[in-house]
Amino acid sequence: MIALSAVFGPVRGAAADLPSFWFAGTRLILAHPVDVGGEVAVSIHDPGLIGFLNRLGATTAWQPGERYVIITTADRRTIAFTIGDARYRVGPSSARAPFAPYIEGGDPYIPFTTLARALFVEPISDGPDVVLQPQLAALDVRQDGPRTIVTLRGATPLRFKKVAETSERVTLAFAGVGSPLPATRQLLTASLSAVEISSSGTTRNPTTTVTFDGAALSIHAMYPSNAPNEVTIAFAPQSISLAGTPIPAEWSGTAVQQPIARAPLPSTAVTPAPLVSAAPLFTPAPLPGQPGFGAPAPSATQGPATMTAVDVVPNDEGAIVRVSLTGPALYDWHRLADNRWYVDFHNVSLSSAPIEQRLDLPAVQSVRVRQLVPGPVPVVRIAFTLNGDRAVRIEPSDDGATITVQNVIETALAVSGSGQIGTVVGAVPSPQPWKFGSPAPPPPGSNPRLIVIDPGHGGSDTGAMHNGLVEKYLTLDIANRLRAILVSRGWLVKMTRDRDVDVVAPNDDARTELQGRCDIANNAGARLFVSIHINSFTSPVLSGTTTYYYKPNDVKFAAAVQRRLISLLGTKDDGVRRENFYVVRHTTMPAVLVEAAFLSNPQDAAKLKNPAFLQNVAEGIADGIADYAGSPTSVPSQSSMSGEE
Amino acid sequence: MGRSIALAALFVVAIAAGWWVYTHRTTSAADHITVYYTKLDGSTEVPWTVSLGPARDPQSVAFYAATQAIAGPPAGTDAVRFPPGTHVLGVTINGSTADVDISKEVEGLAGGSFAEGAAFKSLVWTMTGLPGVHITSVTIRVDGARIPTLPGGHFELDEPLTRSSW
Repeated sequence: MIALSAVFGPVRGAAADLPSFWFAGTRLILAHPVDVGGEVAVSIHDPGLIGFLNRLGATTAWQPGERYVIITTADRRTIAFTIGDARYRVGPSSARAPFAPYIEGGDPYIPFTTLARALFVEPISDGPDVVLQPQLAALDVRQDGPRTIVTLRGATPLRFKKVAETSERVTLAFAGVGSPLPATRQLLTASLSAVEISSSGTTRNPTTTVTFDGAALSIHAMYPSNAPNEVTIAFAPQSISLAGTPIPAEWSGTAVQQPIARAPLPSTAVTPAPLVSAAPLFTPAPLPGQPGFGAPAPSATQGPATMTAVDVVPNDEGAIVRVSLTGPALYDWHRLADNRWYVDFHNVSLSSAPIEQRLDLPAVQSVRVRQLVPGPVPVVRIAFTLNGDRAVRIEPSDDGATITVQNVIETALAVSGSGQIGTVVGAVPSPQPWKFGSPAPPPPGSNPRLIVIDPGHGGSDTGAMHNGLVEKYLTLDIANRLRAILVSRGWLVKMTRDRDVDVVAPNDDARTELQGRCDIANNAGARLFVSIHINSFTSPVLSGTTTYYYKPNDVKFAAAVQRRLISLLGTKDDGVRRENFYVVRHTTMPAVLVEAAFLSNPQDAAKLKNPAFLQNVAEGIADGIADYAGSPTSVPSQSSMSGEE
Repeated sequence: MGRSIALAALFVVAIAAGWWVYTHRTTSAADHITVYYTKLDGSTEVPWTVSLGPARDPQSVAFYAATQAIAGPPAGTDAVRFPPGTHVLGVTINGSTADVDISKEVEGLAGGSFAEGAAFKSLVWTMTGLPGVHITSVTIRVDGARIPTLPGGHFELDEPLTRSSW
């Protein structure tokens, strides 16, 4: 190998002659550096190199047998080396390295300082050592009408702050960064006269300052950066508006776009914290003789359930309220601007006199329980007066519901929601029995009055979370509203989930969960399938409403739903799109997946916090269903096939 | 005599031609590839051109293309992107199918339908349009494993993806 190198390229020498590298204040130890004609060859699997690249936000791609070794930088440039060829590419440019990358011991060796320079890190001799000094390497100026936009680019991550500012002059300091840029650049645009750049400090600990001399009567603002190694500042005459943010006066890094958080919610949101006092503050006496909870719903004329107990257990956080019911019920909850929070249980009667209890806890002042509406379809209301925007969660349980009031301020609160305890007849048909126990599912649409609603995500799968919103709660809220509308219009409705649960099992795999949702519709022979989702993106820029489909027989349905949503919602029309999405692909009937809005967009998020908007989403879908499928009474009944009427 | 010289010349030409065909049989003549991406306004199949490095065999071109598609166009371009840190672990060509193994960072796409569909579309369109490389479908692995969808995602990944998947 050495002999071949002697013929075809620089000789690889011993590592003993190599300098020690310093980077970010510490010695960068390369496990097996090789001197190749004065350049350092390093294996892409060298832990020292991996640490260096990690810090710069770069990744390496290579596989055994592959000739290309490609490093992708944090600002999405690619640095492509080729085994056996000294030519390499940095983005669109081509250059020549001191030696051709080679394989030794199964590992690719690439030129280290060549790579460092491509990452805007300059090797600088400092006595016997070589300091790998991050650089502020580029200054781009462009004109956008009357605005002058300056982008500074360097090694990732750039840390900077504003050190001086007047109306027409601003100075930024970049920590730990040197610069090869010229000291002065005259610009003489309408709003920016010149940029001055100087470096100070030591080789190991430099600071680069950049001063922008604005023209007289100019203004400036920082623009969002496109990459973690960029800072963009815009200048304009005072008469022009500049949409931007002030330049921070504290050390800041440019924001790196992060994937949207998808972690499960903390279990404390649903699990009671340790109790301070196990003694209930009050317990209304249960009424004997009520039907047991969970018994099969006998008929559509099922009587009201009874609320037999409301146990309030204070704890050091807030309070846990356990509500006991004798049967199924629908509930909806609301948060009012005056710190009241209440939940109404429908078709429920209270077994005791009204209750009012002062709690005087840090999170909650008082709780009230009363029969809000008496008569054949009674309603019980439980209301809290909170101390400010405290977190309240309601979770259906086996025999009622648990309401948790936490001593936690929530800044972006949902203002309403709804749910269901048990199986409510009339709204949610029980699983469809198909005639003669045939193992095969009935044909699609054999139950022509049945629509399956799929509230996206749920349980262990939160869906997207942003701006204080959680996708799984919003989808269930909209689904409950849609169910109510469709039932009132005479449709039979089945929900893939009617509370915050996984449809198949917690933490199940995606196929099991999504196929489980499809199976509910397919096995019931549903006429239509609607999956409800809230969109999200890694940056706030995207907004709007999209209806997705996959199968040819989804297209008209999707178009009808999207048309109605757009006319009701006032969101951006992102159109009807075909995507390879599981639930629209594996359902046998016409199916759509609605992405109502982007919870990652501030304007859309504000809309999603308004119950009227969620109601409009439900109305829009329901109207789209009407446009596409007419009314349930216009559908010929095929009860002989479905057993459903 | 003249005839045998002519025959010998013909033989040399045939050898040379055979050698040329042999050495060029898997080599792409093009020096660039087209990488596709989706703009933030939803317009898809937006092309941008990337120059190839010196290696032009189908395996290298496919690996290069997958890496470029996942890196996406340069920062500042209006594009839907794979999450930061997503990188190619390997590309294997089986017949006309490219199997692309992607690092776990790709799971960050599952936050939203729009990005999820758009990102995989950009990869599939890029891989199925390479000069001199006959790839018509793409299978996806995440950290070495075939999966039905990304965890919490919508987009189905367990069957080969083609341009007609959209």
